[in-house]
Amino acid sequence: MQKLLEQIVAGASGWIELRYQARSTKRITMRNGQLEESSSALLAGLGVRALVDGVFGFASTTDVSNKGILAAIEAAQAAARTSAASKKERVAGLAKANMATGTFKVNTDDPLDAHTLEEKLALVVKLDERIRSASNQIVSSTASYGEIQDEKIIVTTDGASAHVFDSKPDLRVMAVANKNGDQTLGMETSGVTGGWADLLGIVDPEVLADKAVQLAIDQLSADHPTGGNSVVILDPGLVGILCHEAIGHTVEADIVLGGAITADKIGKVVGSELVTLCDSGATEHGPFAVGTLPVDDEGVLTKRSVLIENGVLRSFLHNRETAAHYGVEPAGNARAYVYSDDPIIRMRNTYIEPGETPLEEMIGDIKDGYYLSDLGLSGQADSNAEFMFGVKEAHRIVDGKIGELVRGATISGNAFEVLQSIDAVGNDFRWEHGAGVCGKGQAAKVDAGGPHLRCTLTIGGRQE
Amino acid sequence: MTESKLLSSCQTAMDLARKHGADQVEVFGQNARSITSNAEKNDLQISKSQQETRLGIRALIGTQVGFASTNDLSKLEDAAADAVTLAKASPGDPNNILPEPVEAEPVKGLYDPAAASFGTEDAVKQTIRMLELAESIDKRINVGEAEFSAEILDRVLINSAGAERTEQSSLFTYTILTTAVDGEKVSNMDYKFGASRSVSGIDVDSITRRSCANAVGSLGAEAGESFKGQVVLDPYAVLSLLYLLPFQLNARNVLRGMSRWKDALGEAVASSSFSLVDDGRIPGDVGTSSFDREGVPHQRLPLIENGVLRSFMHNTYTAHAFGTANTGHAAGAAGSLPAIGPTNLAVVPGTVGKDDLIAEVDHGLLVSRFSGNANPVSGDFSGVAKAAYLIRNGKIDRPVSGTLVAGNVFDALKSLSGISKETEKVLVYSYPYLRFEDVSVTAG
Repeated sequence: MQKLLEQIVAGASGWIELRYQARSTKRITMRNGQLEESSSALLAGLGVRALVDGVFGFASTTDVSNKGILAAIEAAQAAARTSAASKKERVAGLAKANMATGTFKVNTDDPLDAHTLEEKLALVVKLDERIRSASNQIVSSTASYGEIQDEKIIVTTDGASAHVFDSKPDLRVMAVANKNGDQTLGMETSGVTGGWADLLGIVDPEVLADKAVQLAIDQLSADHPTGGNSVVILDPGLVGILCHEAIGHTVEADIVLGGAITADKIGKVVGSELVTLCDSGATEHGPFAVGTLPVDDEGVLTKRSVLIENGVLRSFLHNRETAAHYGVEPAGNARAYVYSDDPIIRMRNTYIEPGETPLEEMIGDIKDGYYLSDLGLSGQADSNAEFMFGVKEAHRIVDGKIGELVRGATISGNAFEVLQSIDAVGNDFRWEHGAGVCGKGQAAKVDAGGPHLRCTLTIGGRQE
Repeated sequence: MTESKLLSSCQTAMDLARKHGADQVEVFGQNARSITSNAEKNDLQISKSQQETRLGIRALIGTQVGFASTNDLSKLEDAAADAVTLAKASPGDPNNILPEPVEAEPVKGLYDPAAASFGTEDAVKQTIRMLELAESIDKRINVGEAEFSAEILDRVLINSAGAERTEQSSLFTYTILTTAVDGEKVSNMDYKFGASRSVSGIDVDSITRRSCANAVGSLGAEAGESFKGQVVLDPYAVLSLLYLLPFQLNARNVLRGMSRWKDALGEAVASSSFSLVDDGRIPGDVGTSSFDREGVPHQRLPLIENGVLRSFMHNTYTAHAFGTANTGHAAGAAGSLPAIGPTNLAVVPGTVGKDDLIAEVDHGLLVSRFSGNANPVSGDFSGVAKAAYLIRNGKIDRPVSGTLVAGNVFDALKSLSGISKETEKVLVYSYPYLRFEDVSVTAG
């Protein structure tokens, strides 16, 4: 296939980007002892982007014969050509980039295909059963395993010819507890870029199930927190959510150009000098981060971007078009989820660099505050960096010690004000390793993380 | 790919699944060709064309089921083997059965031969038409988004019980999002949807004109008033509130104990003036097709009659589980197992005009769009009434902004006091104007 694409590109007129993608997915879900889903999908196709007179056109097809590919190229060029007369804003050019050539494999010793469907189903059955039998207060259990394996070939008329493999498995468990009609939910997920052993090694699946059960049951007897401004410790999971949802989206160059709060902030102080925030295609500080990506879908070799350095906004996230507009080098942030999607600006692994303060020291200084872990069910953030997140697990901190669990906590504020308020950055690090996807018209598997942080924000007491 | 080639690929997949050990097999195939032209902020964005053939294979071994799908016809054997392997590994469930074949007349008006030659250029022209018309109507209009899509879809369903169905359809859909800006004043955003099965039926002008009129009409909105009382919802606002009805009427959610109406069959769940019907056989309509995701013919199904809950929507699985008739509501595409969903869902229109609904209101609110949440389980809703107008003494008084409305959908259905004869089709939903009582309205 790579040879065929290279030959076609060599004979093409104008700028062309061909992206062949073969994807294999599986999902097995057990709910209350019954099979909810057991499905697999094998999807292959070609996406073509053409640039004619400063206008992009896109076409996709499942016919990947020589003839089918040529027809798709013609359709993409026709799409660009027909818009060219009326389009107001044109692509000024594509930034020069470090275009990828060669083969890029997944870093694992234990590929998913070395394990049978039966083995994967058995794990899900066992976890579902473990949750249901953990306590008579548990009234509903769910366990689910999913995997995505990709093979992509990206060939462009300006130098990319990359053969890229990817593998992203995940686990999700959920427990619902009930006491006198009061229902509480415990949910845990794990995900990696890697193989079977890597997924099971990140968190022991039984520990994951037990955590979900414990969280559901403990909430039954928990009080709601007191609303208001509070000193809090954010755990690495929540730090990651803040980095991705509340900060990261506001520095995506397409969002910036559409009018984001960051538009005129390059070179300006946007956070505490303790904060250095990055987005990377590699998996710094810890292996198997979910958003790991060696080559993006424009065929650009990925690099680490320092978005905020010691509190100063340094860079936006770019594709080749916006990088040219701003006169910078792209770092490989153009991503497409499936072959029929065109590449758009996305994050990969987004994180805050670890600092120097041990967690105990950070907590020890707090007389009255909260220790907050991971994202709950709800959350939203706007391009003006205003956010509201549900917190999955919140504990009071009293006189320097972690105390009782509270339920239904939310946090809200402006992400940049929260960054300004950070007065301690932990010397630890963890990736969130979640199972979800980021949505922006199309999905993307991403990761986020960081050290523990101490900051000030608004806690919402009750959440309906 | 032609319909006959799609059918033969489905037959190959069925044979392969049997060869690998399936007792019973269902194969759903679809071939979609689509073109999308999109504009944002008054300017054209990237145009796309797409072609995809996809097959979904459901394999049964006794009562065990496995599902696999592929769009790669060279991988049919792998997909068939995956479906069988998943079935073998899975626990059984007595409700995993295939429907018996039922004969049904094909529905008319689904395919326009002129759609075959409708190209990217034609789609782009329609989008440009929306942009240019909006600009010519009023310079203060901003088109935040406009999209035109054309799709030709071939569907094939076969199963080992002998069903064999094929159907070709064409569908053009178009949407527009506008705001009006006048100096410092910014109107609320207005959204409109339109659709046609035929090239000659395409009418982007109508939605563009109405959207622009609404956007300009809501300019100059100021803070409203707080009261508890009558609220008239236009069909788009009705859509936002009643989207939780299909959830309650989905027999799978009844089976899981998640539907509010799980024990309400035969009971009053709404005002006696309220009737809800789903009909997948309306010729040429957006949600119409001759057969559902399992090959079962659609039908006209009264769900709520004069306020009384009459039926849930079933597929083969839930019909067997409840020991009741299959209503032909298996929904979904080739990429997943049959789910349950509505076809053309309609609130039966009333006999009064919308202006009469408003004329009877002393002090109330007309809501054109609702931005907020309705909890599908509790029915509680709260959110912002976008493009809302204060009603005083039976007349539209002035536009208001930032007004919060809150209440409970299930209570509101019971206190419904008016249904207009005018209806609007948005996606697969056909809704009239509705007037509710005792809604909390809070000035923002």
